[in-house]
Amino acid sequence: MRACFLRMFTVLAIASLFLTACATPAATTAPAVTQPPAAGATQPAASGGQPVELTFWYWAESDAPGADKWMAETVQAYQKVKPNVKVTVVAQSTDTLISAFQSAVTAGSGPDIASQWATGPVLGFVWQNALVPVSDYVPKSEMDNWLNLNENTYNGKVWGVPMYLIGIGVMYNKDLFQKAGVTPPSGDRWTWDEFMAACEKIKIAGITPFAVGDKDGYHGAWFFANVGIQGLDSTEDLRQAVIGKASFKDEKYTGWYKNLDEMVKKGYFNSDVMSLTLDQGERVFWDGKAAMAWGTDGMIKQAITTLGEDKVGLMRPPKLGSGKLADAGNATQSISFLITKWSKHPQEAADFLAFLHTPDRLSAWYKFTGVVAADKRFDTSAVTSPNLKKMLQWETTGPQVWLENYLPGQVDSDADLPAGQMIFSQSGSPTDAADLWNRTAESWRTQHPDELKNWEGWQQK
Amino acid sequence: MANLTRRLEPYLYLTPASLFLLLVFVYPIVQIVRTSLLVTNAEGGKTLGLGNYSLVAKDPVFWQAAANNGKLLFAVPIMTLLALFIALLLFERVRGWKIYRSVLFLPYIIAVPVVATTFVYLLGLNGILNTLLRLAGLGFLAKDWLGSAVWVIPSIGAVIVYREFGFGLVLFLARLMSLDKEILEAAEIDGANWWQTHWFVTLPQMSAVIEFFIVVELITMLSWVFAYVYTMTGGGPGFASTIMEFYIWKHAFAFRSPGIASALAVILLASTTLLIVLQLRLRRQPLEQV
Repeated sequence: MRACFLRMFTVLAIASLFLTACATPAATTAPAVTQPPAAGATQPAASGGQPVELTFWYWAESDAPGADKWMAETVQAYQKVKPNVKVTVVAQSTDTLISAFQSAVTAGSGPDIASQWATGPVLGFVWQNALVPVSDYVPKSEMDNWLNLNENTYNGKVWGVPMYLIGIGVMYNKDLFQKAGVTPPSGDRWTWDEFMAACEKIKIAGITPFAVGDKDGYHGAWFFANVGIQGLDSTEDLRQAVIGKASFKDEKYTGWYKNLDEMVKKGYFNSDVMSLTLDQGERVFWDGKAAMAWGTDGMIKQAITTLGEDKVGLMRPPKLGSGKLADAGNATQSISFLITKWSKHPQEAADFLAFLHTPDRLSAWYKFTGVVAADKRFDTSAVTSPNLKKMLQWETTGPQVWLENYLPGQVDSDADLPAGQMIFSQSGSPTDAADLWNRTAESWRTQHPDELKNWEGWQQK
Repeated sequence: MANLTRRLEPYLYLTPASLFLLLVFVYPIVQIVRTSLLVTNAEGGKTLGLGNYSLVAKDPVFWQAAANNGKLLFAVPIMTLLALFIALLLFERVRGWKIYRSVLFLPYIIAVPVVATTFVYLLGLNGILNTLLRLAGLGFLAKDWLGSAVWVIPSIGAVIVYREFGFGLVLFLARLMSLDKEILEAAEIDGANWWQTHWFVTLPQMSAVIEFFIVVELITMLSWVFAYVYTMTGGGPGFASTIMEFYIWKHAFAFRSPGIASALAVILLASTTLLIVLQLRLRRQPLEQV
């Protein structure tokens, strides 16, 4: 009798497992986006003396070498201010920054504080209802001091906390310029023809004109953000192509690949571009083996350390295009710190993020990284290097756009990065690169009609 | 009733293991198929249909990834022949053969990311391999092994062969040692040379284990090479080394497209199954002889 019961029970258990797995859902509608609490609404009570644990998925070291050490010191300093709050920092890898957080969002659990690149990537998670607005937890009087808030403002709310500003300039080695008989630009930048002429002279002198590492695709993306941008009048131009109202095959979007291709064919880059990652490509410049390279503030600081302040010069990207954005700066907060929807301690998370902007922490940030903090209260007199002062002036003057922030992740990953690799490896032509952009944007539109709807509704200036 | 009870009783004892297999193997497959049939609409909801498969069929990157997996299949006969040849040599019991066996098997037990990272440094344009070639006056052979769209897949294939052939070597050697030595001696007495002995006597007796190894490696080339590609090239340059697993991973975790990722996974599963069934049917020999 008992044996019979056990057999029946087993058969029923197996059958129910199959039925559950095979159940087909009715057509579903998207869950309603939960509105954040209205301004002035009661916030969750602060923890008081209760122990609070915050997990922070943190990324900044690649942009600003020294950032990890600064964060370690910051966590210790915060422990003294709020002994009941323990912050666990988990460093994130560049390659998996988006995918790892996407997994957390899909699972509905993960860190209390996350890091994502500003604008497009952040908004992608806002639209997935994965974040709470920082502006609901941080007083406006505090946020008014933060710079580049526009990069993460959407529907009147601020969704990410900026920490630093980085722009990108073109570093040059003064000794190698002299050896090649090249005179740096009298103003901030060369025209494209002047730049190409200089590259030719440098090459003739037996020196690598421009150091790049594109194995990971990011240097190609930097060309897009600094050279490709120059054909556009606004980020709205880019959005039009993303949503399919304009074609990426249009010269203003991808015509510049011809110029990049010309540079590759003329041998103006190091021969092992496709064997080096971005950081390894920068090292070619730091080691004095190339005359020029892209440089963020942190990379310029490294070059100054390695080569000497008097050996390093700085200029803006050479001017190729005639769009209104050709003269825009490229400073961005790069990474933004976000508070997740599932965090049980959003107020404590916001308090910690606000602590990063206290005067002591801002000052320490610059000491560790040499990168300007994205805060009006940052003491700019701490910037003593003439090169970094120049960067600071460019980063805080006029409109600033980092164009890559205005792409959907799939288009950035499957068009921006591989298109540059095609040109550098000479496995594709500029026409192929333009085709790739167009095809990828179309694939994204058809595969993600929900995201397309969000992008269509997101008007940009 | 008692008869029925007696017949059903063995199945009761099979139940725990069956449940485990169902949970680990069958349930995920059912879920993947189910997810692949859920198509995202503009409101972010899901409808049932074959839309994801249609999107995959129109995606040129899918076809490139599938082609890259197809190219990697050429590594299977190469590693099989290499493992077989070296196993036959070691079977001759040369001095120190046990040491050679251990050394040649060593790559197989090293984690794939470690092997892959090492080869990134070996195969760079100015890496160790090209440096040695240039020093030997063979600079014309130096290529950008991982940075060239032409050479990247063969290079990854070579690294896979380096790591995987040790498994075949140990497998084949074990089978060789279980063969009846009298048959081999008889062939020798009859005047067969080394090649004839192994071709006409040894290899036919090893056919089942060779087939097993080929099947395992076919599965590997289609669905177990993600770590090599992720570590060595990230799918580049462009999409020249993108493979199906890598593209599935991108859609599942980076692009937030579980439906498309599942459709790709189902296609990969179906392709792998078809390949194995075809291969077994052609051979028409049971695997019990392994």
